[in-house]
This record gives sequence, C-alpha cells and structure tokens, in this order.
Amino acid sequence: MQRRTVLKLALTAPLLASRRAWSQSKAITLWYPAGDITAGAAHFSDKSFFAPYEAKTGVKVEAVGLDYDTMQQKIFAAAAAKNVGDILFVDGSWVPGFLKEDMLDAVPDARSKAWLDAVSPEIRTLSDYGKGRMWGYPQYGIDIYGLTWNKDHFKEAGLDPEKPPRTWDEFRDYAKKLTKRDAQGNITRVGYAIRHVGHPHGIVHKHFWALYGAGASLVDDPLALRGGKANFNNDGGRAAVKLVLDMLDVDKSTSLNFPDPRAALLKGLASMQISETVSIHERAPKEAPELKWGLSATPVRKAGDKPITLLGSWMYAVPKMAKNREAAWQLLEWINTPEQDFEMCKKYAATPRYKVNWERDPFKSNAYDQALKQIYPYGKPLPVNLGLNGVMDAVGGAIQKTWHHEAKLEEALAEAERAANKAIADAAK
Amino acid sequence: MPAIRRLILRLHARHVWHAYLFVAPIIILFGAFRVAPSVQTLLYSVYRVELLRGRFTFIGLENFRELLVDRAFQQAAWNTLVYVLVIVPVSAALGLLLAVLFDTRFPLRELFKALYFAPMVTSTVAAAVVWWWLYNPQFGLFNVLLRLVGLPIQPWLMSSRTALLSILLFSVWKGIGYNMVVYLAGLQAIPESFVEAARIDGAGGFQRFWRITLPLLAPTTAFLLIYNSIQAFQVFDQVFVLTSGGPAGSTNVIVLDLYRQAFERYNFGYAAAEAMFLFLLTLGVTVLQYVYSKRFEVSY
Amino acid sequence: MWASPLRALGTVAILVVVAGGAVLMILPFYWMLVTALSPATDVMAFPPKWIPSRVTLEHLWYALQKAPWHLYYWNSLVVAVVSVGFSLLFGLFAGYAFAVYRFPLQNVLFLLILSTLMVPVQVTSVALYIQLSRIGWVDTYAGILAPNFASAFGVFLLRQAIRQIPQELIEAARIDGAGETRIVLTLIAPLVRTMLATVAMILFLGSWNDFLWPVIVINSANLRTLPVGMALFKDPYGNINYGPLMAAAVISTGPMLIAYAVSQKFMIRGIATTGLKG
Repeated sequence: MQRRTVLKLALTAPLLASRRAWSQSKAITLWYPAGDITAGAAHFSDKSFFAPYEAKTGVKVEAVGLDYDTMQQKIFAAAAAKNVGDILFVDGSWVPGFLKEDMLDAVPDARSKAWLDAVSPEIRTLSDYGKGRMWGYPQYGIDIYGLTWNKDHFKEAGLDPEKPPRTWDEFRDYAKKLTKRDAQGNITRVGYAIRHVGHPHGIVHKHFWALYGAGASLVDDPLALRGGKANFNNDGGRAAVKLVLDMLDVDKSTSLNFPDPRAALLKGLASMQISETVSIHERAPKEAPELKWGLSATPVRKAGDKPITLLGSWMYAVPKMAKNREAAWQLLEWINTPEQDFEMCKKYAATPRYKVNWERDPFKSNAYDQALKQIYPYGKPLPVNLGLNGVMDAVGGAIQKTWHHEAKLEEALAEAERAANKAIADAAK
Repeated sequence: MPAIRRLILRLHARHVWHAYLFVAPIIILFGAFRVAPSVQTLLYSVYRVELLRGRFTFIGLENFRELLVDRAFQQAAWNTLVYVLVIVPVSAALGLLLAVLFDTRFPLRELFKALYFAPMVTSTVAAAVVWWWLYNPQFGLFNVLLRLVGLPIQPWLMSSRTALLSILLFSVWKGIGYNMVVYLAGLQAIPESFVEAARIDGAGGFQRFWRITLPLLAPTTAFLLIYNSIQAFQVFDQVFVLTSGGPAGSTNVIVLDLYRQAFERYNFGYAAAEAMFLFLLTLGVTVLQYVYSKRFEVSY
Repeated sequence: MWASPLRALGTVAILVVVAGGAVLMILPFYWMLVTALSPATDVMAFPPKWIPSRVTLEHLWYALQKAPWHLYYWNSLVVAVVSVGFSLLFGLFAGYAFAVYRFPLQNVLFLLILSTLMVPVQVTSVALYIQLSRIGWVDTYAGILAPNFASAFGVFLLRQAIRQIPQELIEAARIDGAGETRIVLTLIAPLVRTMLATVAMILFLGSWNDFLWPVIVINSANLRTLPVGMALFKDPYGNINYGPLMAAAVISTGPMLIAYAVSQKFMIRGIATTGLKG
C-alpha cells in the first residue's frame, strides 16, 4: 500500500508544476484575438513589436492570442479567478459588459485629459465615456463603416464607377441593376451583400448606418451608463429594417444565401457592401489583387440628410484584477505616445489618432487615409449603456428574424424593445 | 473458536478498509472536479450571481420563472426537443436497417463496415468543419451536386428554414456507424435456433424479423435509445462550429444557450437554472425510457 | 456459394445499397482531401473536379506554417496517455472494489459515479475553471486533465468484467498470502486485459477528440490540443480560405484515420460489445 501511494505521488507531482514561467514582476501579458478577426490585432504576433519597450524597461511582454469565439468567456472566468491578462485588447462593444461587472481600471484623469485634447475628434468620441472618463485607449486604425463597391461591376452595369449611390432609393436602384442571375434564376451575384448570420451584434454593427440614418437609435441617451430606453421601435427603426426586407423580397437584389459581406465583395459575389473599411483595405491586396474598389459614406434616407455610420474600435483596457497593473499602464503609455502612434500607424498602414500625426506624411497624402478622414465626422459610436449586450442581442435578433421571415417586422421590433428595456433595467440595478 | 473469529473479523475489516482505499482515488477526483462544481452550479441556480463582485443574492425560483417566459430559451428548448425526437429514432432505424443488411454475407463486408464506422473516430469539431465547407452555398459540394442534377440549390446553414435540418444530417452521418455496429452485435447474439424454428414453422422473412428478431433486440434498442437521447440532449460541438445557434436562433440548443448566458452575459445563476432544467429533462426522459423498455424485455 | 440465382440477385442488391451508402459516408472525407490538395481555382470549379487537375501541397504547407501542429499533436498525446493511464489504474481498483467487496455506502457511491455522466461539462465548466484557477492549474496539463483523471465508464465496465471472475480464484490467491493490491495487479488485470484494452481505446478516442473543456482551460498556443487548434483555424465569418482549412482538417483527422484503418476490427468490436461511444 505504501509503495502504491509513493508511486502515485511520484506520478502526479510533475503534473502539478505549471507550464508557464512564474516570474510575474518581470513580464506582463496582453490578450488579443488571434486570427483575422480585426486588422488592429495583426501586429501583436509580430515578435519585434514590443522589442523597443522590452529593451528600454527590461519588462517582457507576452502577447497571448485567444480564440475569438471563447474570448469573452475566458476573460471573464479568468477575471473571476483573479488570473487574467494584464492588458486586454477587446471589442469596444464588450466594454459596457465589463463595466457592468466592475472589471476595468479607469485611465488616470490627468492622462485622459491630455489624450482627449491631443487626438482627432473621432478618437475623442470613441475614448470619452462621459465627462472625460476613459476606460481604455482605442486602437489605431479605428474601424469606420463605409460603403465599398466593385468599380468593374458598376461599369458593367452602366453605372459611373466613381459615383456611389447617395440615397436609399438610389441604393435600391443600383442594387437591382448590379444583381446577376444564372440560367435557372438563382442569384449568382448580389447587388448588396448583407450580414444576416452569426452573432447578433455583428448584424447590428452592419446595419447601424440604416437604423441611425433613419432617425432611430439603440438607446435614447448614448452616454448614460444606467437607465434610458430603447429607441428603435419607431418609424425610423421599421424603415431601416424594411429597407433590406424589400431588397430581399421585392427587388430580389440581395439574398440570404451568401456568407459574410466582406468575403462576398472580395470574392466577386457582391457588388456593394457596408462594413469596416479597414477590412477591405487590408485584405484586398492579398485576397483580391485585381479588385478595383471605391469607398464612400453610407447612403442617406432622403436627399439632404447627413450620413451616419458606425464608429467602432477595439480598445486596450486594463482589468482591475490584473497582477501587474502599473506595468500594464506603463506599456499602454508607451504604445500611445504620439511618436509610437506615428511609427506604428505608418508601419501597419493604419490611420493615426493624434491630430499632429495627421499633418505628417504618409497620412497627409495617402488617398485612402484622406478618404477615411472625410467619412470620420459622420461616425457615431455605440451607446455606453451597461445593458448594451442585451440591447444588441435583442435588435440583432429582431433584424435576423425579420429578414429570415421567422417573424413579422412590427412584432419582432416590439419584442426586441421589450427585451432591450429589460436588459437596460437589469443592468442598472 | 475465538481465535478464528478474531481472524475472520480481521479479514473482514481489512477488506472494508481495502474497499474504501481502492475507490478513494476515483471518489476524491470525481468529488473535487466533477461533483463539487456540479453542486456549486446547482446552488447558483437559485441565486443572482455576480461573480466578480462576489455578490450572491438569493432569489428562489426567480431564475426558473424567467426561463419559462424567455423567448430565446423557449426556442432553444424546442429546438433541442425536435433535435432529440428526430435523431434518436432515425439513427436507430437506419442503424438497424444497415445491421440487418450487414448480417448477411456479401463481398468486402468488413471493408464496408469500416467505412460506415469511420466518421465515429474523427473529432466532431474537425468533421463539422469539413461539413461547413460542404454546406457553403456558392462553392460547397452539396449545392454543386444539386446544380449538376438540375435541382434547386439550398441555403443549408444560411437559412433558418434549413439550418437545423443541416445539423441533423451531419449528426446522422456521424453516428450511424455506431448504431449499426451495436445492433449488429445484438443481432449476432441472437441464437440461430430461434430464427430457424420460425422459418421451419413457415414464417416469412418479414414476419420472422418483426415477431422474433425485433423483440429479441429490445435490450439493444432500449440501450441505444437511452444513450442516444442523453447525447442528443447535450448536443453542442457541431452547433458551436457550424452555426453558433443561428440564424435567428433556429439552431440554438439548450447547452449552447446556457454557455452563452454564462460566458457572454455573465448570468451564472440563470445559466445554472438552464443546466438544472436540462438535467431534469434528461433524467426524466431516461427514466421513462428505462421503465418503458422493461416491458419489452424478453429473456432467453 | 449461392443456393439460387434469386439469392445471388439479393446479394447483389444488398451490395449495391451498401456500397452506395458507403460512398455517401466517405464522400466528405474524400472531398476534404481533394480540396486540400487542389489548386485554389479548382476548388471553385463547376462541374466539380473529382480528381485534382494537379496535386498541390501549397495548402498543406500553408496550414503547417500557420499553426504549430507538432505541438498540438504532442499535447493531445500527453493528455490522452496520462488520462487513459490513470483512468485504467483507478478504474481497475475501483471496479475490483465494487465487484468483489461488500461495504457500506457501496451502492450510493456507485450511483454517484454514474450520475456524473448526465451532467455535461458545460454545466460545471465555470465553477471548475474558477476552482482550478485558484490552485494555479489553468493553462497547464493538470488543468486539462482535472475532470479526466478517472472515468465512470471505465469503472462500470471493469466492474462488469471483474464480476465474471470466479471468487475461488481470488480466495486461492489470498490464502497463498497475496495482498489485495498484488491480487489486483497480478491476477485480475491479466484476466480482464481485453476489457482493459477496450476501455483504453475508447477513453483514448474520447480524450483525443475532446473539445470544449480544453478550449476553456487552455490559453497558450503552445498548450493547445488538436481539436482546439483545428477550431481556431476556422472563424465563423468565412474569412478563411477553403484549401488551407481543409488542409488543416486533413492534418487533424489524418493520423487517427490511419490508426483506425490499421486497427478497425479491434476498435469496432470493442465499441460494439461495450455499447459505448467513447
């Protein structure tokens, strides 16, 4: 019996040793989504990225790529167990959820004031969570949702490749002209590709332009953390959802049979799509080198309206229960100095955040960057409400159900309004 | 006598001590890593759980009441039920059909058996990824084949009408070899003499099957139905990979919903209530099937 | 061989049905292989190219480069071997105890073990993750193994098998002076070796293909097991190319399919007789 116990102990002991290095004070971890989820994370896998910082301070930075599907869950469970990454590179729309659980460290007031003064307006909008409060730093090369189209398809359909549709009516008209069918009548190319599968949040992101453009919004007060009411079960909300519903059923210029809009555009399966412009900018050279594409602001409901589009960003945030908070904030300061901003944006072909950097080349003369600059003023971020997760689930679900003909438009939106208000109320407790 | 009595007592005592010692590792490990977390989760179901703040508020059956009116959960429960009701009998029936065919002799029988069983040895995740590609509406093999024969193409995973069916098809493909092999073992365990006796009595092939073989297979059928049900209620991997519960919640299943509630909304109490619901549902169905199957037991 | 032409026709009919079905079963694997080895343009071709116009290894190279598959294999192997080893060891002893001894709480304990089968890992994962994190087992081999050090099925099956062993053999060994431990290891184990091998095979298969718990407890790329690595290769929004994705699938499933091809008789028989899916 004793021999057996010893044997068992001997076998289990090596397993108990952790595989990771235990030196905590000399290393900090940064968690980011691995793969092609967001262009803003592309550089973390670059070993040389943190080299200058490591050389200067002697602190090692370990960038850990997480699987996007399970990332939120990992972060949360790790935080609960007080064993989470020191810096989290997270989707901005997750931040309210984290705030609801009181998970994040706020940016020190002095620093946030300096930052907000020095950055361009759209960055200020993204950073400010109300009264100058910052819970993290937006990535460089922020996402803005714009209309991208295939210029060759436009030419083929008899449309001017340099003139995108300006109003919803034009938009529907163009989509109809651009759709292609095969001999059996199956659609082989959609005029406009829609996002209708996958996570409900993504659906809201990609239809934000229509919802807000029609006068609806997710929550009536975008800056209130607690309270507020859903504001999409109205004429504007209904019109926005109906726009695509009509394109599906009446115009037949789009279809539910096509995958992600970005992939569809790059593969030539769609002529127009609305999503993060940076996706096309980054991926076209590799995946569709022949593609000639245009970029503009999103269509408006009627002539004379101002376009509205989604301003999105992934954020660098520091969780309260991180083991190396000071070191984490130091690293963030380093990443977010004007010089680093300039260097990194130049290296990774992203738009800079500091006003001064916009005055410098290559950004000053880059056509793509300047085109984005034209669209940025129309950008609006998601509301910061603590119940945002629930609101977006509700709206995304309603849109999905309507477009898939699982529910009637009015009912779906009414149901979503109920669910959204409940989520807001629950989060405010 | 007393010396022997003491010896027997000692022997007896030693075995009890041995018994506990031998089961201790398993009990301890299960206790720590399976039972304790289960119990914790169970407890969570009657609390509002705010894990990070360490706040636990007792709310009684509130979570369960919410469950019953939650549209998303209702859909998940419905989808799971439909999934179970379709896949369990279909897999068993196809498995039985194949087993009957394989019980005869034909060339290359062992090779074919191996081919039918092959999907079982691959991981559900890898197989689902392959099927995800097959289901691609533009370039996937299934639609390509449909186009070849002039039939209309299907949206498969992209439409709420066809998504659940697509997942069912995958699951049937994955599990049919297993059902076949278990039924085959059951068939081969039936003594020849019974079937021979029936043939001599003049019973036709179909009658022989229906009256003799099928009842004698009752234990196998019972086992398959129960085991398949438990697995089907817990379906997760393929839904996670193929559709993540969409589109429009048409493939949302209970385990996926509770995973989301726990890890995206951080509603651990609510998720725990869903888990309890699932557990009771599984238990109920299993007990029912077990009791019902006893009625058909034929001993021989 | 066949008593009559009618019989022969029957056999042919069965063969045709079975073969047709077998083609359908294997088609996904075949297409996976074809896609992995065909140039990208072939993949989108219509009518489909059943045989690649030319075999290219570019997708395989790309997939091999993009992720450390050798590490994934190693991790899967370590986890499988250790978990199976311990499960067999503990299962053997516990199975013996349940089969041979009479002791208080015996039935309760046995039911407790069996009941763990009805609680899926998703239910316990959060509580378990937090528990493991407090003892530093997250992102370690120990963490992946934690719920898998023992197997309820193993105990159940081994108990069945050991029950068949005549009590006299055990008594005889005891009278010869053998300790209980020695009895289990030198007498019982060889007698149930087929069952041990079968349980080992089923558990190995289960561990090799396990997905959810590893994906929750593993953070570092270097610790990923095969299914986790495979799932990470694909993202849900169609942003990965099919050639490399199928190449990754080939890398994931290849070795197990080859092992299966070699030992399928044993695998099938084992799973059939125990009636377990692993």
